[in-house]
Amino acid sequence: MSAAPAIAAKPVARESGNALPVTAVCLCILLVWYAAAIPMNWVVTGPKIEAAGGGLSGILAFSWNEARPVLPAPHQIAQELWKSVFTVAPWMPKSLLYHSWVTLSSTLLGFVLGSLLGVALAIAIVHSTFLAKSLMPWIIASQTIPILAIAPMVIVVLGSLGFTGLVPKSLISMYLCFFPVTIGMVKGLMSPETTQLDLMRTYNASTSQVLWKLRFPASVPFLFTSLKVAVAIALTGAIVGELPTGAIAGIGARLLQGSYYGQTVQIWAALFMGSFLAAALVWLVGVAERVTLRRMGVKP
Amino acid sequence: MAGPVISARELSLVFQTADAPVYALSKVNLEVEDGDFVSFIGPSGCGKTTLLRVIADLEQATSGSITVNGMTPQEARLKRAYGYVFQAPALYPWRTVERNVGLPLEIMGLDHAVERIARNLELVNLKGFEKKFPWQLSGGMQQRVSIARALAFDPKLLLMDEPFGALDEIVRDKLNQQLLELWDRTKKTVVFVTHSIPEAVFLSTKIVVMSPRPGRIIDVIETNLPGNRTLDIRETPEFLALAHRVREGLKAGHSYED
Repeated sequence: MSAAPAIAAKPVARESGNALPVTAVCLCILLVWYAAAIPMNWVVTGPKIEAAGGGLSGILAFSWNEARPVLPAPHQIAQELWKSVFTVAPWMPKSLLYHSWVTLSSTLLGFVLGSLLGVALAIAIVHSTFLAKSLMPWIIASQTIPILAIAPMVIVVLGSLGFTGLVPKSLISMYLCFFPVTIGMVKGLMSPETTQLDLMRTYNASTSQVLWKLRFPASVPFLFTSLKVAVAIALTGAIVGELPTGAIAGIGARLLQGSYYGQTVQIWAALFMGSFLAAALVWLVGVAERVTLRRMGVKP
Repeated sequence: MAGPVISARELSLVFQTADAPVYALSKVNLEVEDGDFVSFIGPSGCGKTTLLRVIADLEQATSGSITVNGMTPQEARLKRAYGYVFQAPALYPWRTVERNVGLPLEIMGLDHAVERIARNLELVNLKGFEKKFPWQLSGGMQQRVSIARALAFDPKLLLMDEPFGALDEIVRDKLNQQLLELWDRTKKTVVFVTHSIPEAVFLSTKIVVMSPRPGRIIDVIETNLPGNRTLDIRETPEFLALAHRVREGLKAGHSYED
């Protein structure tokens, strides 16, 4: 008698399994955040609270509603997001959507270029041991240089050649995001089993036939895993590309202006917007992955 | 038909490994005639798969000579002289059954793909499964798809490397029966690697008994079982005598020792 309800309850718990832990973690973060805002803002709010006569309600009112806080309270960020997304026309420089679009456009261009470069490098590496040996160290070295050191040089050099705005930022995104694609695709293109390759040999198939009919389809799951990483760091690349040049538009520009003028709420709102964009991009790649793999008949 | 389909003379193959050379094949002499069903039987490591792979030009002999259709194995492979069936079905999981069978036709640029696919799927009793993906089929059905794929471009020679080794005995019996009927109907030359004595005796016109270390041929047995045989033949004295002779050959080659 006691076992039956437990068995019946299990699948239900598994299906709604995500919502509860996610909510719990969010609540914990919010609690810690609100609590941390009190001591962290004390430098600014302390004198005001004392002047107003203290008391718990005074502490909370000042700590969580300071105009220039060290750590803004979550609801302040939410208000700023609401204000800059929904109350301003999206083509105005005050709109966060406008800045998001500026960053998103260079992210997408960089992502496309970086993915193509990544796939091309992987194809070259898989087909030539000479290229594998000569290219691989450079590819790895390229990722050990901090992007913050390279970005200003790229912007300045390209700027002197007449390229400004979208292209230099996209190139920085490309520089960051080709790497996971190359690594993932080398593994993916090498993933066919020996018998699957031997089969092609018995047909006297050409190298390009082996690539397009066997290696490439076999690498698709690897490709999508890499693309998820790549699209997120392409966004990081675009934001970093906006920082060193004093760009006037883009999420990076918002971060920079916020820090110039001590607008912490604006900085946090821009950070959140960047996170939403990254999450949305990764989700979109995930959707494309599911659709593609279903069409390729992968076991559900 | 002039000359044997496969002819090997003093064929040897040595794999160089880190510690010591491995003598996979040692002075193998073999003739396979047109229309033969030849089985290579022996324990693991006797070189039976290696010999098949040399015929298919997937490995190269270190000494001796071998011809396939009067050519070198490489020339034969470039002319797409044989269909090869592997131990595992080696189907491409992103292709449906019909597109797996059509793969060699795409690669070779052959016409009448639709008819060829339909005819060969019918030959392995898989009509109606054209749109299925490999994971939707049982292991035995997957191996039948791979046989249909090997037959799709109509090679005269079929090389099969323990195709039913991973299947259970009931499925294996059924597929043996079907393979025999298929061979009877298509008149192909078949070279078949196995480590099952009943399978070898039931299917073959010629059994090549092999032995390991170094891989060599111990005995070549011509069977003369009736053409339209069924699985029941395995209880007859003729069948048992042949199986006994195969087993004696394996014993003589120390195949039952460690």
